[in-house]
Amino acid sequence: MTIETEWLSYDVIVVGSGGAGAQAASAAAELGASVLLVSKDPLGASDTKISEGLATVRESGSDDDIEEVLSENIKLAGGDLPIKKLTDTFSKYSKEAYDKYREHGLRPSINKAKNRPQSLPLAMGGHNRNRSVGHENHGVAFGHANWDAIIKEKNIDYLEDAWFLDLVVDRNNKSTNPVIIGGLIYDASKGVLLAINSPSVIIASGGLSTLFFPKTDTMRGNTGDSYAIALRAGADLVDMEQLQFLPFCLASPPSYEGLLAGEPSTASYLGVLRDKNGKIILNGVHLRTRAACSEAIMRAVEDGRGSPNGGAFLDMTANKELPKSGPYFMKYLQDSLPTAYINARQALGKEAAKVEVAWEVRPGAHYMMGGIRVNDDGASVGGDDEGSVKHGISGLFAAGQAMGGLFGANRLGSTSLTELAVFGSRAGVAAAKNSLNNSFKVNKKLFESYINEYSSLFGQKGSIASNILRDDIQKESWKKIGPVRTAKGIQEMEDKIKEIETKLNNISIPNYFIWNQAFMDFVELKNMICSAKLIGLAAKERNGSIGGHVRLDAKNISIFSRPYSTVVHKNNYTYLVKKLNRTRTPLKNLIYYKILEKKRLLEARFLSMLPKNIKDKKLEKKYKDIMSASGKAPEIMPGGTEGAIGETTSA
Amino acid sequence: MIKNTNSLNVNIVTVRDGKEKIVAFTYNKREEKEKPMALDVLMQAQSEVIPDLAFRYGCRARNCGVCTIDINDRPRVACRARVKDGDKLSAIATLPVLSDLVVRRDGIARQMRGLKTSAQGNDLNVDAPEVYHDLTSCIECYACLDKCPMHMRNFADKLPKYNDKNLPNASEGYIHGNPFSLLKLERLRNDPLTSGQGKNIALNKAIDLGLDACIECPGCKCGVGIDLKNKVIKPLLEAAKDKL
Repeated sequence: MTIETEWLSYDVIVVGSGGAGAQAASAAAELGASVLLVSKDPLGASDTKISEGLATVRESGSDDDIEEVLSENIKLAGGDLPIKKLTDTFSKYSKEAYDKYREHGLRPSINKAKNRPQSLPLAMGGHNRNRSVGHENHGVAFGHANWDAIIKEKNIDYLEDAWFLDLVVDRNNKSTNPVIIGGLIYDASKGVLLAINSPSVIIASGGLSTLFFPKTDTMRGNTGDSYAIALRAGADLVDMEQLQFLPFCLASPPSYEGLLAGEPSTASYLGVLRDKNGKIILNGVHLRTRAACSEAIMRAVEDGRGSPNGGAFLDMTANKELPKSGPYFMKYLQDSLPTAYINARQALGKEAAKVEVAWEVRPGAHYMMGGIRVNDDGASVGGDDEGSVKHGISGLFAAGQAMGGLFGANRLGSTSLTELAVFGSRAGVAAAKNSLNNSFKVNKKLFESYINEYSSLFGQKGSIASNILRDDIQKESWKKIGPVRTAKGIQEMEDKIKEIETKLNNISIPNYFIWNQAFMDFVELKNMICSAKLIGLAAKERNGSIGGHVRLDAKNISIFSRPYSTVVHKNNYTYLVKKLNRTRTPLKNLIYYKILEKKRLLEARFLSMLPKNIKDKKLEKKYKDIMSASGKAPEIMPGGTEGAIGETTSA
Repeated sequence: MIKNTNSLNVNIVTVRDGKEKIVAFTYNKREEKEKPMALDVLMQAQSEVIPDLAFRYGCRARNCGVCTIDINDRPRVACRARVKDGDKLSAIATLPVLSDLVVRRDGIARQMRGLKTSAQGNDLNVDAPEVYHDLTSCIECYACLDKCPMHMRNFADKLPKYNDKNLPNASEGYIHGNPFSLLKLERLRNDPLTSGQGKNIALNKAIDLGLDACIECPGCKCGVGIDLKNKVIKPLLEAAKDKL
């Protein structure tokens, strides 16, 4: 028995039902396009829904927040790797994109005097202006807005429990670049393959954090589908070595493994990292970058000085012990990252919650900065410099974590939710126009090889289960292409992938069609393998540390050197890797940034050397200054630069 | 029999090809004092005994709402529900099973498809009342479907059985409502940007979904602690009292 194939036609296919997918589908439908939105997880259950729910809205907190200021802020935070056209676009459309969420029911607090959304009181997350807007119920509030956006449009058909397998591409016309003609879907609830004729596909299916274990609370579905699907279609992928690991995730108990316990700033003025012997392996933790914290932890582990569960100890007891400032520290700890503190309290117990003992921590995979190479419409591009659609895949679009080039090597806090709205809706508009303004010829014949490939997997005989290989690749990825990397490790990962690939045709997949877990696991495993290859190739190309890419065996790449991005591409069976130069931010801004960094480190050193009673008084004043009149410390954003002051780039 | 404190015995109910099977599984604790969550048990069972065991999960931190299962026939969010010796883990009983612990969910959301309530004014800068935010804290875990007489009307006042050939077509959306859909409608009615006409559309939709079932019902229970009775059901019944 063979799985049946059903045929359908739509103007636009959107893959993913999170923030980017919902905004893209809604924008395309508003222009009159018929849209099919495909999601493997339940509607709206995405990283957007589990986020901290903070969005960057330009001019929400200050009147002098002009476009250029926000754009340069993002570019410098990304180690000067971001494409200026993309940071400009983000900056220009942040307000109007945010209003799209509000049209679908997102309700922030309003600043009545200024008649605009109320921003948080401090410039946070590395921002040089107050422009982060918080929301009650965090990401869940965005989840509702996305759900509503999809449900209320009659010309959006949606499918959940449906795996988008591959793009179908026409490469036969030698005079043009490859052209999208549709996609193939496995509808698990009906037990059929769906062959969809469509001239435009928007990939908005999230990141790849599930390639690693441990990872943070990001959704299980982040199996790198976005990147693997685009790569197989022949698209360029940019900055794939740039993956954000959060250094202070829980190492135990097992139910909490990987969940966030804190950020570098959580350590506050006197927090240090210690190895299993109690020796300090990093001081001034609150001023360090996430990468520096991860590096210190992983160096101790490599040296055999790691904690029982393969991490290190975040010791904040010195903050708590001081009689005057100690109580303020506790307030700061509880208020600044409430979800992380609750995780730590539940996982580590009462003594740890009172900071009477050090916390065992370990890095966890969080957010992908790299992704599908696109222009300011989210359209696939190729070629040199910023790229052009002439050299991209015609009809392919991407938004959200799926796209790359906007954040470079690091990102400001609260930018990801705004990015979804800006590039999601722009991709939706561009895709709708592409479909409605151009003639389209259905070509069923080109689907045949895809249908054969996937339908023949049902009933594959074998002795291995995909998820055994998945567990294997997650652990190895974390070790070899994870928070810290070496040339040797990257090579070993490449060998590991080859070994796993030889086992793929020995994976057992039963021959039934409704919700075939083994089939889905197989598809996801292949996408994870593909993503691991992409990271490995980009990581090999970038022979030095910058942002989310930490090489233990090579030097740091200075912000004064010429910035470049890595690009990976697949041509038939060969992977091609290249470097692309990026435009540089003016030298005087870079120097100013460096001076601020030195100043902060000197201040911290001075503070730590003071006698205890004077230190206590000074810290008491510092805490009072950051806490608002209500006595509540401001919330900070996991993944944002405020969580790691060492990554601040206010210039 | 000597009780082994390093392990837990649970029963996992699997469903394949319309056949139900109870699989006894021994969970091996990974730490001496571990008190595993239901999700940990399912993951270990998948790694060690049933390689293609089907279950949903997402964030592991009770935020995404997708991992809801029944533990001893009561709905719980699997990532934050501790398991005891002898517990039974099965799919939630209120929706049709696709495989093992996975149920088909989309019949719920689809019943709201195309529902557009008109907006009033063009100023987005309006504060929402506190109750709007209370309702927005719903994570859509569907624990509230438990014992809901309105929802059970979809399945002839029973629970959907996996081998029933006459299940309603989820692709078209269930005809009869549930606490989640009512919450979505009451949320719209509390949105300051919904027009008077829009509020009527939302109320009429609640009546169409079978709000009358709530009159005699003692009330529903939310998986994340929202006061459904006082914040959703009562206000809807009050607003619809002349129409029921």
